[in-house]
This record gives sequence, structure tokens and C-alpha cells, in this order.
Amino acid sequence: MKRIPCTGCSLLCDDIIVRSDGLFIDEVIGACLKGKERFDQLSSSNRILSPMIKKNGVLEKCSWEDALEKTSEIIKSSSKPLLYGFSNVSCEAQLKGIELAKVVDGFIDSNSSICQGKVLNIAKNTGITLTTITEIINKADLIVLWGANAAESIPRLLNKILFSRGKFRMTGREIRTLIIIDPVKVASFNVMGVRDIALQIQPNKDLELIRVLKEECCVADSISSEGVAGLDRDDLKRLILNLSEAENGVIFIGQGVLRPQSESNLVGELLELVQMINTKQEKGRISLIMMGGHFNMAGFDHVALSTCGKNGGLQFDKHQLIDTDDNIVSKIDNEDFGCSIIVGTDPISHLPLSLSQKLATKPIIVVDNKKSATTSIADIVLPSAITGIEVPGTAYRLDQVPIELKTILNPPSNIPSDEELLTKIIDKINKS
Amino acid sequence: MEMILNTMRMVDHDQAREHSLGDEKSLEEHLPIGILNPKDFKKLNLTRSLHLTVSNKNGQIIVGIKEDEGVPQGTILMPVSIWANQLTSFEKNEIIYKNITVNVEASRDPITSFNQIINSIKSN
Repeated sequence: MKRIPCTGCSLLCDDIIVRSDGLFIDEVIGACLKGKERFDQLSSSNRILSPMIKKNGVLEKCSWEDALEKTSEIIKSSSKPLLYGFSNVSCEAQLKGIELAKVVDGFIDSNSSICQGKVLNIAKNTGITLTTITEIINKADLIVLWGANAAESIPRLLNKILFSRGKFRMTGREIRTLIIIDPVKVASFNVMGVRDIALQIQPNKDLELIRVLKEECCVADSISSEGVAGLDRDDLKRLILNLSEAENGVIFIGQGVLRPQSESNLVGELLELVQMINTKQEKGRISLIMMGGHFNMAGFDHVALSTCGKNGGLQFDKHQLIDTDDNIVSKIDNEDFGCSIIVGTDPISHLPLSLSQKLATKPIIVVDNKKSATTSIADIVLPSAITGIEVPGTAYRLDQVPIELKTILNPPSNIPSDEELLTKIIDKINKS
Repeated sequence: MEMILNTMRMVDHDQAREHSLGDEKSLEEHLPIGILNPKDFKKLNLTRSLHLTVSNKNGQIIVGIKEDEGVPQGTILMPVSIWANQLTSFEKNEIIYKNITVNVEASRDPITSFNQIINSIKSN
């Protein structure tokens, strides 16, 4: 029996018990559906166990030597390699990814740039008050899920933060108020109790709500009798009362809040609202947590910031970091790349069709442990070991706390870790 | 009928799980689905055996139907997937996953297959 952190999602639950004989996993105790799925990947029929190269339009198994030779050939003949993904790999592999981008004068970006990285970029102007899961478990009295379906995207989050009993308070769920702001009555609504507030807002009206709350922060009783965004005036009064009187409140920001800046600066206005509340607060504060889904999405932001001073969108030229406003979307849209190296993600399944089509026009090299829509159009597929089960490493939890990942089994067929694989590619390019 | 499309991640319709554990058949069973309010289901004269054609200026797909009272009227939910991506777009380097205007109609045509979409990406 071994206790290990789970890499099923960004919560990195560290209380999963695994029984294994060193060859197989016999039992997994305490994992949610997503965690179980991560362990099931070990023996899945979709697991990639051999490198593959596309020949006559079909991927065929090949030797590691041939795969690395072809990979090096494609990258070296490409003027602007594009590296993307890196949110489902360890920080050590992320570091190697940045090193590879530097060696090949490429552009590297992570999934974070179209997810929680947007919040960090906006926070450069406004500042952001963050908190940790431990702090929430021990002290939180108010939990707000804003555009965040925690029950389905991070299944054990509510179990940990809402129903747990904190160390420094003799009470738990009974003093915690849950507020959900969402246009859809998502699964998280099902855990609401009598003291909680369910706010099923009209679609795309979040900005109106934030502005009314900001106004109410400055001038009491400014909410009109009709309410706003389909929400009742009394509910809004309860919302502002909870926000301004919570001793330790936390707002979880989900994808529902991450609208394009051109449409509205929703995140910026939300950050300003939190600052206004905290300025007025006399006994407590409101903090924020970004709900990135991939297990090490936060890690890339930390690794990139600590090595390059920028949390994403790193462009190298003559082996030096240069200034650019590009992100993964602009690079693909402008077809400003010669080939792509996709690591631990599936862009064809999350990018709009027009971007997928442009990505598919240039050679694609995929590093992953499982088949995906992207592997089905790739030119080279390089299998890697499953981080957190077959290889160790470091990952940042959604609250920006680093967690040490462990290993239980050896990878099959001596498949390398993402870090080892990226090192081999760098060595191959340097030697040839 | 004009509706607002919101894409979201759902535990029962999760593309990562289907790609990891399933095959193309299980992807096609779980991901091409539109979730509607029962009142919209009636407005569109739908029955369980029908499918939905969801289209906008970005593309068109045919998906299965599910009813859910938690979905507001005028909104259609779809899991983030290769199917929903036919309708999403981007603006000023940011991807738009929510509040996308789409046209929704009943259809007797079969659900758009995984291979149809992959081929449309490859053949461009």
C-alpha cells in the first residue's frame, strides 16, 4: 500500500491509496472518476507503446532511432518550430521544453494561455489576492463558484473545501456559505444547503452583475427593485453582505468567467471588485483561485516565469528570448510556424476548426501517452511514460503549491518520461 | 431556431476520458451531444429519435439530443470536443468557448462522425 498524489486533475489529491505488487496496480482507494481514469490509462487499449511515423498517410510503428532521427530532421528543416501543451507533464519536462525551444529558436506556449494564464496576465495591472486549499479548509467561511462547475471539473474539490472540518475552527460545513453564480444549473448546485445562495444568472450578464456589486460597494442600497441579470434584489443583497462580511472568503474562477478581452474585461472588473471589497473589509478578506483543469497547468506559468520572467508565449531567436505579444492562437492563425511539437495535450480537440486546419498544414510531432484526435493527424508520435504513476516529478496544484509526484510502477517497454524524451530530442539536434 | 451555444466540460461527456480509454465509437456515443431545456425541446418539435443540426458561420455539425431542466431556455450546451470546435471561433487571439450564436434545427441525418471531422481537417 502506498499513498500518492493523484494526477487526474489540478487538485493533485495527496490521499490516494494504491495497492501494487510493482508490476500491476491491484487497487486504487479514494480516487474520483477522473483519478480512476488516470490509473486506468496504464492498461488502456488507447495507450501508445511504440513510436510511430506516418508513411503513405498511415502511422506505422518504428524504432526509437528512426523516430528521433525523423523528429530531428523535421525540426531542423523548419524555420519556426511551435511547441505547445506542457500542462500534463512535470515541471522538469516543462523546463526541458523551454530548453528545446531555445535550442531550435522556437515559440513555446502552454494550455494556460487560453485558460488561467489569461487571469494572471490581467492581474499584472490590478494585482490578485490568492489563497491555498489548506487555508480554505482551515479557515474559509465563504466559498463562491463563479462560472466554475467544480463538481464535474475537479470532482473532489467541494469534498475537501466545503465539507471538511478546519484545524483552527471547531466548525465545518455549518459555518460555510456556498454561493454559485452560473447561467446553467450545473451539478455543483446539488450540494447546496439552506444557508447557501444559488444564483442562476442570465447568460452573458456577469459583467452587469459585477458593475452593480461595485456600485453597491460604494453606495449602499443602489440595487434597483427589479434586481439585475435575472437575479432577485434580495439575493443580491445577501451576496454583497456575504462578500463584505466574510472572514475568509474565496472565489473560484472557472472558464465561464474567461471571456475574450475584446468582448469585455470581465476578469479585470472582477479583480477590481475583489479589491474594493477587501479595502472595505474590516475583519477579513476575499481571495481568488483559478480553476485550471490539467494537473500541472499552473506549473508552466511558474517554470516560465522563474526561468524567463514571462508566464507564457516565449519566443526565442538566436537562442535568446525576444519580446512578443504572440500566443498560440496568433501563431497558428498567422501560420507563423514551420512545424509543431505537441506535448501532453490534444489541440485538435480544443482549438476551433479553422485553427486545427492551419495546424494540420505543417508537420506535427506529438509526445503523449495516449491516442487522441491530434495523434490521428500527426506525422510522428512519440510515447511517454505516465507522470505521477510511472515517473516522478514536480507539479503545481491549482492553488500554486508545488507537490512532489511519486512513482509506483516502471513504464512498459522502457518508455521514457517526457523529460527524458525531450532531452533525447535536444541531444539529437545538437549532435546532428 | 437561434440559440446561444455554451461549451463546457462534463464528467460524463469528457473528451480526455474517451480518448484515453475508449475508441472512436465511444467518442461518437458520448461527445456529439446538445443539451437543451425541455421547453426548447418542445419548441423545436423534437423527439428522442431525432438529431440536431447545429450551425453558424464557422461550421455545421449533427449531434444527439439530451434534455436538462438546468439549462436556461435559449441555450444549448455541448461538451468541449472536436464536435463543438466546429462552431467555436476566436477573436483578437482569444478563443471564444461561450455565448456563441448558433442556429439549431431538428434533423434525421446521422450524427457527424469522428472520421468525417478528422478528414475535413486533413483535407484542408
